[in-house]
Amino acid sequence: MNKDKKKKSLSYRLFWPIRNEKWQPISIPVASILISFIAAAIVILLLGKNPLQAFYNLFQGAGIFPKSSYAGYKSILTDFLSLLNAMTPLVFASLAVAVALRAGLFNIGVSGQMLVSGFLATVIVGYSGLDAIIAKPLVLLVGIVAGGLMGGLVGWLKYRFNIHEVVSTIMLNYIAQYVISFFIQMYYVDPVSRQSKYISEEARLTLVNVEIANLKMDIPLGFILAIIIAILIKFLMDKTVVGFEIKAVGSNRKAAKYTGINVGRNTVLAMIISGGLAGLAGVTYYLGYFSSIQPKVLSSIGFDSIAVALLGNAHPIGIIFSSFLVSIIDQGSTYMSSQAGIRQEIASVIIGLILLFSACGAYVKHKVSRLKEKEEDRKDSES
Amino acid sequence: MSDYIVEMKHITKSFPGIVANDDVSIGIKKGEIFALLGENGAGKSTLMSILSGMYEPDEGEIYIRGEKVQISSPNHAANLNIGMVHQHFKLVEDYTITENITLGIEPIKRFAGLFPYVDIRNANRKIEELSKDFGLEVDPTKKIADLTVSMQQRVEILKVLYREAEILIFDEPTAVLTPQEIDFLLGIIEGLRNSGKTIILITHKLEEIKKVADRCAVLNKGKLVDVLDVKTTSVNLMAQLMVGREVSFESEKVPAQFKEEVLKIEHLTVKNEDGFEVVKDVSFTIRSGEIFAIAGVADNGQVEIADAIAGLTKVSNGKIFLEGKDITNESIRNRTEIGISYIPEDRQSYGLFLDFDLSTNLALKQYYKEPFSSKGILNKDVFEQFGSKLIDQFDIRSGQGIKTQVRSMSGGNQQKAIIAREIELQSPLMIFVQPTRGVDIGAIENIHNMMIQQRDQGKAILLVSLELEEIMNVADTIGVIYNGQLQKVASSESLTTNEVGEYMMGAKHE
Repeated sequence: MNKDKKKKSLSYRLFWPIRNEKWQPISIPVASILISFIAAAIVILLLGKNPLQAFYNLFQGAGIFPKSSYAGYKSILTDFLSLLNAMTPLVFASLAVAVALRAGLFNIGVSGQMLVSGFLATVIVGYSGLDAIIAKPLVLLVGIVAGGLMGGLVGWLKYRFNIHEVVSTIMLNYIAQYVISFFIQMYYVDPVSRQSKYISEEARLTLVNVEIANLKMDIPLGFILAIIIAILIKFLMDKTVVGFEIKAVGSNRKAAKYTGINVGRNTVLAMIISGGLAGLAGVTYYLGYFSSIQPKVLSSIGFDSIAVALLGNAHPIGIIFSSFLVSIIDQGSTYMSSQAGIRQEIASVIIGLILLFSACGAYVKHKVSRLKEKEEDRKDSES
Repeated sequence: MSDYIVEMKHITKSFPGIVANDDVSIGIKKGEIFALLGENGAGKSTLMSILSGMYEPDEGEIYIRGEKVQISSPNHAANLNIGMVHQHFKLVEDYTITENITLGIEPIKRFAGLFPYVDIRNANRKIEELSKDFGLEVDPTKKIADLTVSMQQRVEILKVLYREAEILIFDEPTAVLTPQEIDFLLGIIEGLRNSGKTIILITHKLEEIKKVADRCAVLNKGKLVDVLDVKTTSVNLMAQLMVGREVSFESEKVPAQFKEEVLKIEHLTVKNEDGFEVVKDVSFTIRSGEIFAIAGVADNGQVEIADAIAGLTKVSNGKIFLEGKDITNESIRNRTEIGISYIPEDRQSYGLFLDFDLSTNLALKQYYKEPFSSKGILNKDVFEQFGSKLIDQFDIRSGQGIKTQVRSMSGGNQQKAIIAREIELQSPLMIFVQPTRGVDIGAIENIHNMMIQQRDQGKAILLVSLELEEIMNVADTIGVIYNGQLQKVASSESLTTNEVGEYMMGAKHE
């Protein structure tokens, strides 16, 4: 047995964090990130460029490392703030996916829920001319309510008519996309940009071009809210009766029913919470990061968030980190392409790879435990 | 050259955490019925899985007809004329008997010498002959879905015989049968032996072994305890060897003292998902201090009665009263609050959250109340204290105490956890559905004692069981169900096992 241990010591030591179940929630995402960067490096090498340089540029562009020179009113701080600005809707959207996942539901309607709440907030508050102090909270409120209602509808359809949430959310995505595009093009279109008219600055959740210390910065107010909400969701899921019941329904519906938990009510409730979070993603996206809505287009955030949530283990704090990473790559891509001469699409390839490998996390976990079983089997037989 | 047809020498097989077989050596003579006796987890199924090619042993040798072999797959075992009749049938419901039996080795004919097709007519004829030869008459063109459990078992046996098995392994074949069907099956097994086959019978039922087996190997915790000549060994000695200590077969019971009525069922009718009436106009009462057992063959409506009382299934007609209160339309949680404890049949998919830890599972019926939570916030300290208390009190064994994931616990300890949780509710009515299924003998004794203890404390107990022995043992009153209808309700002293069996088959009714 001793001999056996020595023989595999190197690989054993290298892989112990992945083998150890306690560390798996962290080690598997980290490993999938590393693997995807290595895969991306190979792609960049094939293009004849230096991958390390490219990755460095990526981080420079996102405001993590300083660039060699900055334009007027710009610095690493402004870059970093726009990173946070872009990251905010992704955090909310991923939380939306995660809450649904905990309840055993697959909410792929985040994009539709974002669009509906973003549109309603735009129409109700964005064009109203209300003061900032009223307009901004109202935008958040409209977002939560609209998203929550739409999510709740999905939950209710599942509970009442047993319509699978994947089907209903996909359908609702289409309905939202085309109905809203109709209204924008009929009533709210800006003839120049071909998008919806811009909302008032008062209603916008990102303060644009704020001048501080000779710098012009975008300050994303929603980001602070995103962090607070993530912590709240963690508390809700881990420490409260409501969270316990949602998790119970997600873990085993039959046992939940046997226990006396109202499965239908919790299904609807989980989808309301999920939809509400998607609504927050919608308003921080359409009335924060942007200030208008492009008709007939669903935001890709709603779909990226599925993988971001998986990468973050559907854990609220994990999601903050995974959104941060994905946003860095997304934000840094422009700078990388200009500096290293690598096309911007490569950044999308990296994100795609990360998301792909993170989706494989469950498989890796399964495989590792299988391998472990086999190994122990062998060890026992040899001893 | 030995006279053994099968010899397994020094077989050792271990799985993570346990040694399933520890240096086991047995020899089986041609033409005998050789029984393997042991509790759940004693290693008898593992040993036979090795013989039938599902597992390879870590150590040890196997000789078939004196030749050393390494059985690497079930197909290889079949080539050596070894066949296994599984406890859980492996049949395709929508196929006919012939199609099931010939699956994988279908007789092929070629149309116009070119296009292959299955010669089903020929196969049907062959199977009919085969089934007559061994006294296992079946209609080969019938679909599996239309057959009774005992008929399905015949198909399993025919499947093995069709593959020309000489050595037949029966894995707990009587677990799903009524007493009459068991007698019939044992007759078939004897017939097979008389026609020259070698039979290995895995079981933990002693009376079956006494009835048909020639020799019997007793396994305990993976080790071979002894090989006995059945005729000259008493049942008590076999049981002692199997458990490793003395066991009492009769649970000790003081005479029941019935008090006030706790549960009253009036004209209960329950429909299943397809709209069929699975419980038809059932009425009975259970009094405080009474164990009322529903006896019946599986799927005759008994589980639906229990589910209807607990609120898991909708009642389509009739009323349920608990302590005089009409609970027919109460929610599941309200029923728990009013006073129902329910130990469900399927502990892994209903009774427990396998991915949650033990302390959470123990608090499952109370988490929403003070002191487990206040104002909607869970108090994990109370969960842990409560869990530790129950673990001590009910001797629930687990790897990491209250933090253990329930999935990793043994079936017996999972069941103990559920029973502990439900007893702790102190409900006036306790429903036990198949409480000892898949639990070893030591734990069965323990569970029976707990039920009787609860009865003596004045609880009303509803027991649903497929094990007639268990019902005869612990019940005060027996209700026999057949096809959704109660055939007979009488005190347990006034009924014999055979009578109950006849009612279970629907052969006799009032």
